[in-house]
Amino acid sequence: MRKLISTIVMFMFALIMIYPFLWMISTSFKQPFEVFQSPFQWISDQPTLKYHENVWTGTASFITYYWNSLKISIISTIGAVFFAAVAAYGFSRIEFKGRDTLFLIYLVAMMIPNQIIFIPKFIMFNALGLYNTHWALILPGLFTVLGVFMLRQFFIAVPKDISESAMLDGAGHFSIFLRIMLPMAKPSLATLAIIDFSWHWNDFENALIFLLDEKLYTVSLGLQSFVLENSVDYNGMMAAATAGMVPMIIVFLIGQKFIVEGLASSAVKG
Amino acid sequence: MKLNWMRRQQLVGYMFIAPNMIGVTAFIILPALFSIFLAFTNWEFPQLSADFVGMSNFSRLVQDEVFYNSLKNTLIFLGSVPISVGLGFLAALVLNKSVYFKKVLRTMFFLPYITTGVAIAFVWMLIFQPVNGPVNTLLMNLGISNPPGWLSSTSSAIFVFDIIWIWFLLGYNIIIYLAALQEISSEQLEASKIDGARLFHTVRYVIWPLVSPTTLFLLMTGFIVSIKQMGIFQAVTNGGPGDSTTVLSLYIYKTAFRYYDMGYASAISVALLVIIILITAIQWIAQKKWVHYS
Repeated sequence: MRKLISTIVMFMFALIMIYPFLWMISTSFKQPFEVFQSPFQWISDQPTLKYHENVWTGTASFITYYWNSLKISIISTIGAVFFAAVAAYGFSRIEFKGRDTLFLIYLVAMMIPNQIIFIPKFIMFNALGLYNTHWALILPGLFTVLGVFMLRQFFIAVPKDISESAMLDGAGHFSIFLRIMLPMAKPSLATLAIIDFSWHWNDFENALIFLLDEKLYTVSLGLQSFVLENSVDYNGMMAAATAGMVPMIIVFLIGQKFIVEGLASSAVKG
Repeated sequence: MKLNWMRRQQLVGYMFIAPNMIGVTAFIILPALFSIFLAFTNWEFPQLSADFVGMSNFSRLVQDEVFYNSLKNTLIFLGSVPISVGLGFLAALVLNKSVYFKKVLRTMFFLPYITTGVAIAFVWMLIFQPVNGPVNTLLMNLGISNPPGWLSSTSSAIFVFDIIWIWFLLGYNIIIYLAALQEISSEQLEASKIDGARLFHTVRYVIWPLVSPTTLFLLMTGFIVSIKQMGIFQAVTNGGPGDSTTVLSLYIYKTAFRYYDMGYASAISVALLVIIILITAIQWIAQKKWVHYS
């Protein structure tokens, strides 16, 4: 009985959590006069697809933004996971002078806020001719400090005998890394890939600072410019917000197990 | 032979970390150091030259009312972190043992955390719409004839961001607490039952101390993530009305990329870094008083 009551209470809280999503989707199919209509209706009497169509057509459309975001997020994620895995192996399985000092530098680097590095990056990308190109987002995106931490946690947990016996057979670190560690680490790599993809997909600040041309905009930035241009069109705003969120919701529902377990294990054992 | 092997080992180690290390150095560490250098200059984009101005950016900073106001807004915004951590602990306690459909509930709570911040911020903007948005409609139906103006009022706007942020972080806090609760052995809980401890006492004197390292982790990472947050402020209010939602990170952005006052913006960003280090250090020192490691 107590369990039933707490389930009901928690479901009421959970409904508050997802209320904005429901409200957004509901509004995106409504007519303008229905947005704040009282009494409130979840399903419109005259549902329309007009606002969703507007988002996907027109001069600057979400098709362009999607393509840009996908390109940036996929390239960055592949690079970030690979470089993080290599570094995590180095930090966890090889002993060399200065390793712990270097790792300490990584710890400090995690605290550095974006805002302190925007200006020098802006100068650097201007000088290299990369300002207002996708490279300004992709290049820094190839390197993740947090990813090194997550994978290091995993590599440390792998028993030493596995790599030691391979070493007695004459295998070097490179082949141990490629043939033993990477296959074992698949779930962790998947976790990092999903989380890293979401960082890139959701990133707004870098796009805001380094992209100028509307045809280069990512989804977040395109969404903002859409809202600025249509600030009284609430239905359109909600259709655009829905379009901005759908890929992450799909990624989340597919990879939920990896995300939840990956985040939890990196935090609790850390 | 032995020496050779060790040298090789050394070299292999460096080769493994080099790619990531070079990237992190080029895109994080060197830029951060360069910003500290810029903070002592009066460089303005797109001038080609700049002068050393010593501490003058910092003496301007300590007299800058917008800076103090942004600092105040940042601290109010950070208030959402302990609230969200506390709520996360309570929710995780209930979700851990005493509900049906635990996984469904967990998914519902976690959904905000993975969504695009800017997109969901626009949704909240309409939900808090002052004239006839859902929140104020509800408040008026409850008999509050004069509900807050939320984002349109200088006194309440920053609190809307607190609410959004509590909501946003909550799912993450719950997930991490659930994992921590699973590590608590049933013996530890049984022991307190034998003592005849009531539920409240078990939570307060057994469970809470056992998860205190997790609490510390969530507070420390939560503060760091939140203090860096700038996107939702820029997208939704751009710091307004007035300067009532200008947080430090947004003030830096505006100083640098709207007024192109790069030297001064760098000085504020150095101050932001110092604040992050201070907040982290204070928590690290204070943890001795309340964090228990088993």
